[in-house]
Amino acid sequence: MIKTVNLTKKFGNLTVLEDINFSIKQGERVVIIGPSGAGKSTFIRCLNFLEKPTSGEVYFKGEKITEKSNLPHLRQRIGMVFQHFNLFPHLTALQNVTIAPMKVKGMRKKEAGDIAMYYLLKVGLEKRVKHYPRQLSGGEKQRVAIARALAMQPDLMLFDEPTSALDIEMIQEVLETMEQIAQEGMTMIVVTHEISFAKEVADRLIFMADGSIVEESTPKEFFTEPKTERAKKFLSKVVSVYTY
Amino acid sequence: MQFKLSILMQNFPYLIGGLKLTLSLTLLAMLFGIALGLALALLKISKNVLLKRAASTYIEIIRGTPLLLQILVVYYVFPGFGIEFNAFTAGIVALSMNSAAYISEIFRAGIESISEGQMEAAFSVGMNYAKSMRYIILPQTIRRVLPPITNEIVAMLKDTSLVMIISLAELTYRSKQISAATANVITPYVAAGAIYLIITIPLTQYAQRLERRFSKGD
Repeated sequence: MIKTVNLTKKFGNLTVLEDINFSIKQGERVVIIGPSGAGKSTFIRCLNFLEKPTSGEVYFKGEKITEKSNLPHLRQRIGMVFQHFNLFPHLTALQNVTIAPMKVKGMRKKEAGDIAMYYLLKVGLEKRVKHYPRQLSGGEKQRVAIARALAMQPDLMLFDEPTSALDIEMIQEVLETMEQIAQEGMTMIVVTHEISFAKEVADRLIFMADGSIVEESTPKEFFTEPKTERAKKFLSKVVSVYTY
Repeated sequence: MQFKLSILMQNFPYLIGGLKLTLSLTLLAMLFGIALGLALALLKISKNVLLKRAASTYIEIIRGTPLLLQILVVYYVFPGFGIEFNAFTAGIVALSMNSAAYISEIFRAGIESISEGQMEAAFSVGMNYAKSMRYIILPQTIRRVLPPITNEIVAMLKDTSLVMIISLAELTYRSKQISAATANVITPYVAAGAIYLIITIPLTQYAQRLERRFSKGD
């Protein structure tokens, strides 16, 4: 579905991503983990061109994406969930979800409203539709953000550390929502530190460090028998943090 | 020389006539100023270097020269280039061009104060730049620029007095005429001052209230 060839991103002299070759098939769930500064977020943001790659190629359904591509059209097909939610504060939860179907796809209010309600129900927020983002908890905000992305009925969902900005007690509700989406067959790329989520949901796990893909395997293999020293070092730290 | 109520009563309708002109000048100049100011702000944050520079140059020129001079230029110099106005229109044009420069800076700061994540979220659901601006960024900007724009309205209301240089009989000009005709300087000027204050004080307080409300977060 999406493929990168020698994807490289530099900020000035700093190389954040180097020669990333990656691909994901329809229905596959890939979790990306790694220490901070590994380039995970930059990588996922390059996939929908929120960051413009310095060199290398990104293909979506076989079509090469460039700066000159119809990016708005492409991004309709790729949903994205951000670490800091980025809900639209001047709109209610419902309006946050209907605005793109209405203004981008040209749907009528009624039709967009029906779709929005369907997804708000799915994320368990049917009772909070008239609330503004400031009236919602962090977990609720992130679930609205997920509904907003799903309402465009994308082919692929990108999650950029969706639980990193949440209080501990709200992480679970967001992860459960994501698990549910995964069960329904959505193609997903998830950058996260949530080991348990990776174990349960991921078909494939990618370990990134220093701008490169260091290890790629099933979650089970990765967590029980990491192949590289870098991954072992990372896991020893993570495990002590998550105490399992 | 003392304040004479009789002089005020006699000339009050004439002063109010001047106030009407003052208010129409303010209102129209603000409407055009806001529209033009928003356009300038969008040019200034655009990626096109040429447009950006054109907007910056315009803003520099307007902010670096006196409004009084700008009024004279619009009324006396523009006709030399075939652009002729009556005094009222010239007044509106000069005041609008002037306020646009200041308002554009307010809008620019307002737009830039919206977090980058908002634009990214708008892009991520498939909006193009124009739609992101229109439906996501600008509605949030309006709330933030309302207090400074209200202050700008107050400033504009006072600045309209400068169009007396091209013989527009607004409030200040009429108070001067009355003082000349009645040989009493205190009465008309105090009256004109009071009329300005009746309008500017509530506006200023309104702006401060908005500012307090928005600084609390919402």
